Formats: sequence, structure tokens, C-alpha cells
Amino acid sequence: MTSPQDRATSDRRLADEQIEARLGRVLRIGVVASTGMLSVGLLLTLALGAGQVPALLLTLGLVLLMMTPVARVAASVVEYGRRRDWTFTVLTAIVLAELIAGVVAALVFHRRL
Amino acid sequence: MPVVSASVVAVVLFSGAVAGGLGSTLGIGGGIFLVPFLTIVMGWPIGVTAATSLATVIGTSSAVSAGRTGSHLINFRLGMVLEVATAAGSLLGGITAQYLEAHLLERIFSGVTLIVGLATLSRVNRRNVLVGDVDPGVLGGRYVEAESGGTVSYKIRRLPLALVASFVAGNVSSLLGIGGGVIKVPVLNAWCGVPLRAAAATSAFMIGVTAAAGAIIYYGNGQLVPALAAAAILGVQAGTAIGGRLGERASARSLKLLLAAVLFVVSALMCYRSLA
Repeated sequence: MTSPQDRATSDRRLADEQIEARLGRVLRIGVVASTGMLSVGLLLTLALGAGQVPALLLTLGLVLLMMTPVARVAASVVEYGRRRDWTFTVLTAIVLAELIAGVVAALVFHRRL
Repeated sequence: MPVVSASVVAVVLFSGAVAGGLGSTLGIGGGIFLVPFLTIVMGWPIGVTAATSLATVIGTSSAVSAGRTGSHLINFRLGMVLEVATAAGSLLGGITAQYLEAHLLERIFSGVTLIVGLATLSRVNRRNVLVGDVDPGVLGGRYVEAESGGTVSYKIRRLPLALVASFVAGNVSSLLGIGGGVIKVPVLNAWCGVPLRAAAATSAFMIGVTAAAGAIIYYGNGQLVPALAAAAILGVQAGTAIGGRLGERASARSLKLLLAAVLFVVSALMCYRSLA
């Protein structure tokens, strides 16, 4: 006999595992894509010198790298929301808002230059 | 701004690999080694150093965490709760930096690392694990320990302290360009009931968010040299892959001793710098 409490615990664990697998996939895609662009961009810079194509690859790689944790947090908001786990939906949404505030701050700094 | 040349790229790649290797063996990230090297040896301005180091921290965090999903070492729920505090600290780091004197910051950093080092040393033989298959609660965790092959469970204690430590770690991370694991890992381990390996894995998961909040601001400020940042990121990634394997084989006790030693050295270096 499993008590309702045991069942709730094992349901929670199963949901957590699905969420972890999805977040892991987001991180993996971000890492592979950004490292690939940075490697090619760096090699081209060394081989051909600074140019438009290597510069674009390096910039894209860096932006993608910095956006990977943001994408992971956004994915967490969606995953917890879909499971109606409101506590964690709100918590991850706060983190996302903080990261967006960072992007806004970056744009403000950029304009000052 | 540092000049891009093949030899500088090679040095940055290599130093990144060494810093990444050491950092991931200890579970605190490579920034703590990379920042002093780039500032003191390479003579880079502190803003460029911090921006570069933060970029490597993001890369390490994403790569290491992607590789660890499924092992249960990362405590996702705890990480997400603490991220609220760490991202706030990281955002405010930029503002705090403008009101506090650099020497004062260095002294605070030196003091904090000294206290955390002493705490780690005083609990070197204590283990945070619960025996048997007990329910660890919503924020606690459970994983299979590679060292012994047994299932390990733990409960979270003193959550407010963990939140404060995460806030401070986020703040320090933005200011100095390190991941902040050097503060979070020892605090989670010594006072909040998290076993060392789970603390390190959870911290590594969180620092991507911490560093992203800071790095985006530095990047907007034009303090990232793309080719050199790429070299540092790729070097640290390579070193991290090697160091992570060493860390899995070492015993928790020797990792704690090494961590305490690193904290004392960093504390002494920072103290020296603040007085110089």
C-alpha cells in the first residue's frame, strides 16, 4: 500500500526528472552552438585577421552564450507553469525578470558610450 | 584594451585551461584563478578581466550542468530558490561598486573568504548525509554517490542563510568577475546541510544565471574583447572537462582540505592587494 503522501512524493520526483531533462537539453543546445561559433570565429580571426565574418561569428557566439542561462530560466518558468507548480513558476519568473533588468541596464550603459 | 595576437590568444587559452581544471576539481569554477592571472600577469584592466571571466563562468556552468542532468547531484529546486537572491545580488553589484571604495571591497572579500575557509576546515570530518531512504522534503535532495555507490539523502537547514550567502555571492561575482561558488559552496556545505558534491553541482548550475546578469552589463559597456573572450571560454571549457573527472575520484575530505587552503591563499592575496 502506498499512502497518498508517498504517491505525491513520487509524482513530484517524476515531474522534476522531466523538467531537468528538458532544461539540460536547452543548456546543451546553447553550449554546442555557442562553442562552435566561438571556435570557428577564433580560428578565422587567427587565420585571416579581423574581418566581418569572424567578428560576426564571435559576437553571435558570445550573445548566444550569455543568453543560454536566460533561455534555461525562461524554459523553467514554462515547465513549472505547465505543471501548475505556482511557487516555482513565480520564483523562476522573478529570476527571469532580474535577468531582463540586466539586459535593460546593458542597453542603457551602451547608449551612454 | 588588450591587443589580439596569436601569442596572447595562446596564453589566454592555456591559462583558461589551467584555471578551469583547478576550479572544476574543487567545484568553485575557474574565475578565482583566472581573475588574478589576467589582472596581475597580463595587466588587463579590471573591467575587461571581470567581463572575460564572467563569460567563461557562463560557459562552464551551462556545459557542466548539461552533462550532469540525470545524476541528481544538482538540486534544481534549491538552485532556483537561491537564484532569486543571487541574480538580485549580481544586478546590484554594478551599483554597489560605484559607492564602495575598491580597497574596502578587497578587504571585505578577504575577510569573507577567511571566515568561510575556517568554517570549511572546522567541519572537514563531518558529513551532511542522512542514512537510508528518508524523504528529504521539497528542497532537500537525494543522489547516488560515486565514491561509495550508496544512495545519499539530505535536508536543507538555515535557508535564510543560504539566501544571504547567494545574494553576497552574486554581488561579489559582478564586482570581481568570479562565479561566486567560492562563497556559496562552503556556506551550503558547512551550515545548510548540503553535501559537498551536491553543493558544488548546485552552485555550478546557479552561477550561469549569476554571471549572465553581470556579464550582459559588462558586454553592453564594451568591456569584452570578443576574440580573447572566445579564447578564455574555450580554454576554460577544456580544462573543466579534465578537472571534473579528477574531482569525482578524489575523496570529499581531501577536496574540503584543498578548498580551505585555496580560500586562505585567496584571502591573503586580497588582503595584500588592499594594503598595497
